[in-house]
Amino acid sequence: MKIPLKYNVRSLFVRKGTTLMTIGSIAFVVLVYVGVLAMAGGLRAAFSAAGDPSNVVVLRDGARSEVESFFGQDKERLLVSLPGVARDAQGQPLATGQALILQILKHAGGGETNVSIRGVEPAAFVIRKQVRLIDGRPFTPGKAEVIVGRKLAAAYPALRLGASVNFGRVPFRVVGIFEAGGSSFESEVWGAVADLNGAFRRISNYSSALLHAASADDAQALVARIKGDQQLRLTALAEPQYYAEQANVASAQFIVLGNVLAFFLAVGACFAAANTMFAQVSARGHEIGTLRALGFRRHTILLAFMIEAAVLGVVAGVAGSLLALPLNGVTAATMNGVTFSEISFSLRTAPWILGMGVLLALGTGIVGGFPAAWSAARRPITELLREH
Amino acid sequence: MQKLALRNLLRNKLRTTLTVASLMFALLLLSLLMAFLDLLGSTSGASDNRIIVRSAISLATLLPESYWRQVETLPHVAAVTPLNWFQGVYKDDRPENFFPRFAADPATVFKVYPELSISPQEQQAWAADRRGFVAGKALAVKYGWKVGDSIFIKGDIYPMDLDLVLRGIFTQPRNADQEKVIYFQRQYLEEGIGKRGLIGTYVLRIDSPASEVAVRKAAEAKFENSDFQVRAETEKAFQLSFAEMMGNVKLLFTAIGLAAVISIFFITANTMAMAARERTAEVGVLKTLGFGRGQLLRLVLGESLAVGVLGAALGCGLCAVLMPVVGALLAKMMPIFGTLRMSGGNWATGLSIGVAIGLLSGVGPALGAARLRIVDAVRRVA
Repeated sequence: MKIPLKYNVRSLFVRKGTTLMTIGSIAFVVLVYVGVLAMAGGLRAAFSAAGDPSNVVVLRDGARSEVESFFGQDKERLLVSLPGVARDAQGQPLATGQALILQILKHAGGGETNVSIRGVEPAAFVIRKQVRLIDGRPFTPGKAEVIVGRKLAAAYPALRLGASVNFGRVPFRVVGIFEAGGSSFESEVWGAVADLNGAFRRISNYSSALLHAASADDAQALVARIKGDQQLRLTALAEPQYYAEQANVASAQFIVLGNVLAFFLAVGACFAAANTMFAQVSARGHEIGTLRALGFRRHTILLAFMIEAAVLGVVAGVAGSLLALPLNGVTAATMNGVTFSEISFSLRTAPWILGMGVLLALGTGIVGGFPAAWSAARRPITELLREH
Repeated sequence: MQKLALRNLLRNKLRTTLTVASLMFALLLLSLLMAFLDLLGSTSGASDNRIIVRSAISLATLLPESYWRQVETLPHVAAVTPLNWFQGVYKDDRPENFFPRFAADPATVFKVYPELSISPQEQQAWAADRRGFVAGKALAVKYGWKVGDSIFIKGDIYPMDLDLVLRGIFTQPRNADQEKVIYFQRQYLEEGIGKRGLIGTYVLRIDSPASEVAVRKAAEAKFENSDFQVRAETEKAFQLSFAEMMGNVKLLFTAIGLAAVISIFFITANTMAMAARERTAEVGVLKTLGFGRGQLLRLVLGESLAVGVLGAALGCGLCAVLMPVVGALLAKMMPIFGTLRMSGGNWATGLSIGVAIGLLSGVGPALGAARLRIVDAVRRVA
């Protein structure tokens, strides 16, 4: 014989104050957990939006990021003309050499960080279609002009539209603001590679080359070809793979942090849930006795209280997730641990993250509620019925 | 009075224990967060007598070797040594096998870091061997290195691998972090990458902390009109700039701490409300016996205060014990956690939060008890 669910839910809310406070405490735990995971989710989204499987990133052999990599013009020319690199309608290769330079800049909120400055050639805009101007105009090569990612323009006074910013000893003018589908490119400044190399007095002109292939399979073939060429001393990888590593490094700290926090807070909240459930059980001794006398079995009682605890947890989980929803889209910034430059991203409370929050709350309710449910089921009928 | 408050606390031992335990865990977490924040702001081994000169563009851009002699001649500069951050990979990619590896100049590095002690024989042996390196004692102990041992470090920033031979071990009894570093000859690096004559940072030792501003200004002014402008900052400011680059971590941690405090507030307030409700009749009896409002107020508040302080003290205590263990575990991912410790300030903050939560959560029930009319209270006995 089963006890109807309605009984559980109604019983919980007989003692509204206690139940609501416990829900409140668990909900805050969920809020913290979801909030931290949303940072990991946002970082992953920013990096995954940057990678296109038909693009190949070429670095110096041994380098793990563009900041560590450098090679000369000779190699860049060779890479661009490799068979397998797609071409546009005019027969020009869809490939660009890139320079990635870090520049210290003052943040609007005080403090300083390294900002990524990317030198590109015109083909970069054909290959990276997600890069789209939302204000101003494109930069003109040779004129010391740059365009700035939307996230950076908001955070750095020196990078606002129309502003002048010194790179090396050359003043560059910000002529446009671009968006890039929320990808990490929105945390970069883009300019003509020759202008930037000159301004920064770079000896090795290129940090990387970006090659566009007709398909993901062609891209893999290009990767194999470049890696196999011992003379080049270069390494290549598909673009999503390159950004996946940065995403992992950057988001790992938040995933670890989120789980460590969730563990400690959830253990604390378990005790709160236990308190509430013990109060429920002790206040309803007579009621439990009656149920038992009516023929409900011990395990049914156990189940009934466990369901109550689970309901408590789920309600708290949903409440906490709702509290966390406004975090979606909030901009945060952290250091990209691979390139040591700032990456701005939007928090993402993805469905799986909210789901994790509800699961955490459910677990807290069940673990916290079990001792009370167990004691309710174990007590003898005679003792229970004697209570008021 | 105190006795009554104590008895009340022990009346429902299970409830008190559960509440104290939940407080304890929340404070444990809070203390961990605080200790972590302290760690981020710490400047281990930084001396007021040292200034770091680096490229004004960023650390990823190097400076010409020719600047060496030029900074040496600035007034108030006692010694200059160049350092290049080699990074690289020793054994494997795991963070626990990571330690700073610098390309250094054997003739000057110990002049700029006089707190590192090494025997003159070992220092000479290092200077005489192009592939030689010196290691801090803590690292030598960790990996069991003996003088004469070889190690291999795979290059990543630089396109060369290092094949090094240990020629000496230096010690710094007052700061273990400074012993977790190796220095190898910059000549070896220069030859490996084709004599490019580039230097990451110049470390300057100045005659006294008082000349810091003058030296910084002079260094920056000296290269103002050159191809590579420099930024000169104290060693402390240089170290803090890394924490700054972590972004708004501090804000994040404060927000998390706040949510944790709110969460425990709910828990404790809940317990106190439950306890008060249970004892309505009793309060009536006490009032009938002549207990005043003030006394009842203090009775209930005292009880919740005791819960708050006990939970906080246990939480902080547990944290002090666990901190080194947790630190050691986390150090496998991020080595800076190795020195995670509970400071006096952390204790003070933790205990004050305990007091605040104890008082706040007791206010409602205490006022309720004080205001209760005897008639209403006693009526509930039946």
